[in-house]
Amino acid sequence: MWLNVWAQIADLTIIAVLLRCMTPILLAAIGGLISDITGVTNIGLEGLMLVSAFTSIAVSAASGNWMVGVVSGVLICVGMSYAMAFFHIKLKVDIVITGFAMNIFGSGATIFLMSKLFQATGSYNPSNLDKIPVVNIPFIENIPYVNKLFSGHSLMVWIAFLAVLFCFIMLYRTPYGVHLRAIGEAPDSAKSLGIPVGRLQYSAMAWSGVFVGLAGSFMSMGMTSMFVKDMTAGTGFLALAVVLLGNRNPIGVLIGSIIFGLAKTFETIFQTIPNSPVPSQFVQMMPYVVTVLALVVFAIRKQNRQKKGLVAPAAAKS
Amino acid sequence: MNHKRFLYLDVIGIAASIVLAVVVGFIIIMMVSDEPLQAISSFLLGPFSTPFNLSTVFNKAVPLIFTGLALAVVFQSNVFSMGAEGQLYVGGFTGALAAAYIPGLPVWIHLPVILLCALAGGAMFGAIPGFLKSKWNANEIVTTLMLNYVGIISTSYLVNNWFKDPGSGGFARMQYFEKNLLLRKISDSFPVHYGFFIALLSVVVISVMLYKTRLGYELRLVGKNEAFARYGGIKTKRLIIYSVMISGALAGLGGIVEILGVHGTYKDNFSANLGFDGIIIALLARNNPVAVVIAALFYAYLQVGGQIMQAESDVSRELAVIIQVLLVLFVSAQAVFNYFKQRAVLKHSQSHATKGGKKDHVA
Repeated sequence: MWLNVWAQIADLTIIAVLLRCMTPILLAAIGGLISDITGVTNIGLEGLMLVSAFTSIAVSAASGNWMVGVVSGVLICVGMSYAMAFFHIKLKVDIVITGFAMNIFGSGATIFLMSKLFQATGSYNPSNLDKIPVVNIPFIENIPYVNKLFSGHSLMVWIAFLAVLFCFIMLYRTPYGVHLRAIGEAPDSAKSLGIPVGRLQYSAMAWSGVFVGLAGSFMSMGMTSMFVKDMTAGTGFLALAVVLLGNRNPIGVLIGSIIFGLAKTFETIFQTIPNSPVPSQFVQMMPYVVTVLALVVFAIRKQNRQKKGLVAPAAAKS
Repeated sequence: MNHKRFLYLDVIGIAASIVLAVVVGFIIIMMVSDEPLQAISSFLLGPFSTPFNLSTVFNKAVPLIFTGLALAVVFQSNVFSMGAEGQLYVGGFTGALAAAYIPGLPVWIHLPVILLCALAGGAMFGAIPGFLKSKWNANEIVTTLMLNYVGIISTSYLVNNWFKDPGSGGFARMQYFEKNLLLRKISDSFPVHYGFFIALLSVVVISVMLYKTRLGYELRLVGKNEAFARYGGIKTKRLIIYSVMISGALAGLGGIVEILGVHGTYKDNFSANLGFDGIIIALLARNNPVAVVIAALFYAYLQVGGQIMQAESDVSRELAVIIQVLLVLFVSAQAVFNYFKQRAVLKHSQSHATKGGKKDHVA
């Protein structure tokens, strides 16, 4: 069986699986990162993804155009994030509650609409779906490894990598990004300098909606070509963990997503191997255990740095 | 803010939120349903229509009381544990092991042993994130969320492989417990199981613990102002572990009561988000143990109403979920509540000032 695993690693199948597994985590984590950096921890990623996954596949099937589907999924996600921001910033609902409400809403509303619109209970798979296209890079078809490495991935995989770059530039190379980071680190000082904290948090939540929306649409129209109820199955929570794991930094988030993606990849590979000696539940559990361990390691490191006085002690709530 | 005099504002506000959420729900029903009146009456009156339906509300509320109580305790100490779901599984599982695999004990010893095992299992599993939080300040929201999966998946592994009843097919479960271990029903016409009274007893115990003992005082103080508590000489780190352990124990107890009262044995995936619903219950109840009972009953009422609506009309029960979400958001809209409270306080003090009476320091 190890031979079997090795074969999949050697012929680079693993890379294709990895890219497919990590893309939704990465996109959702980028979305989570942008809001988290302004001090709004978005626990509702899970629900937002479900809403976008459902909207984009439904619109795409109805319109016959994947781009219309993705855009409408993203737009509705932005709208929902705005609503979350309204409840949190304006009405002072605790962000954890807002997020959980969003998760419950996302699950309930999609199931409700699925039964109402398509008379489907468990899953909805439209027959003539225009999926997010696969990118085949020309001129390299004949180069054995390079072709497999770069070709045949969904367009959204590349968008995910671009999203990391975009997020990095936005946060670290623009005045807007500096403001975003400032209000997360010291909201009161930022306010005293005339930075509109509330408005920036709204905009950060909107960005969050954009990327989470992309993640959701990839789940229903890239990874699979159907919507299954509660299909995100914890991806949003994993993304949230990746944000913390990646030290609230786009590059860290990328690395964290690769780790989580690998864990998911091995889960998939082990499941396809007959008579695997490792119980599938253990493999399934891996990403979560890794998260807890990594979080602990990270917390210890942070504590040590604080002890050495290199960083100011974090505010009570972090 | 917690001035007794203004408690009525909270009550009115919560009632108004409920009405608002239900009205929005009705508007949606009007839009999607061909038989809106049938749907609405099933939803609102269905749970009261027969004693059986009403008893379903009570039975559904039992685990919610436990998980709501579990979260009310940790939230009062300002630890945002989301881990009741996993603790409920682990506690339920350890309790179930004691129920299925300790032979030959008389019932009056066996039952307490089962409950204790469930308490211990939940508490131990709760201790992990508590320890990580107090020792290294690891973010408890994420650790508890992740440990939920660990708890759910590992109990699922155990019941699927080691403790599976050979007679059970695709849905793994343990062997059925002896009949005399199961919690009895009050009567055949009103089949509420005695777990409801265990739940009420837990509410009393937790209320006394929180409001009448030193431990409870310290827990609440840590929640209100950790630095102050620490300077006052309270060992805050240890208290955080205690509060998560108490919470885990309550969730575990909820798991075993649900098993003994409803299922008759440990079944794989027996909890349908009971732990997460508990978060909402605790928030609706503003972390007050007694209010948890009311909130849990109300929540169960919405769920049962949704099911009856689904059975008797063309509206699916997910609509009830949407009403629940709106309700949660409205009830926890602190800004609105604070605004009205401030106005009430202002009016109150102004009326005193114009009367020329003594100045009232309420603000």
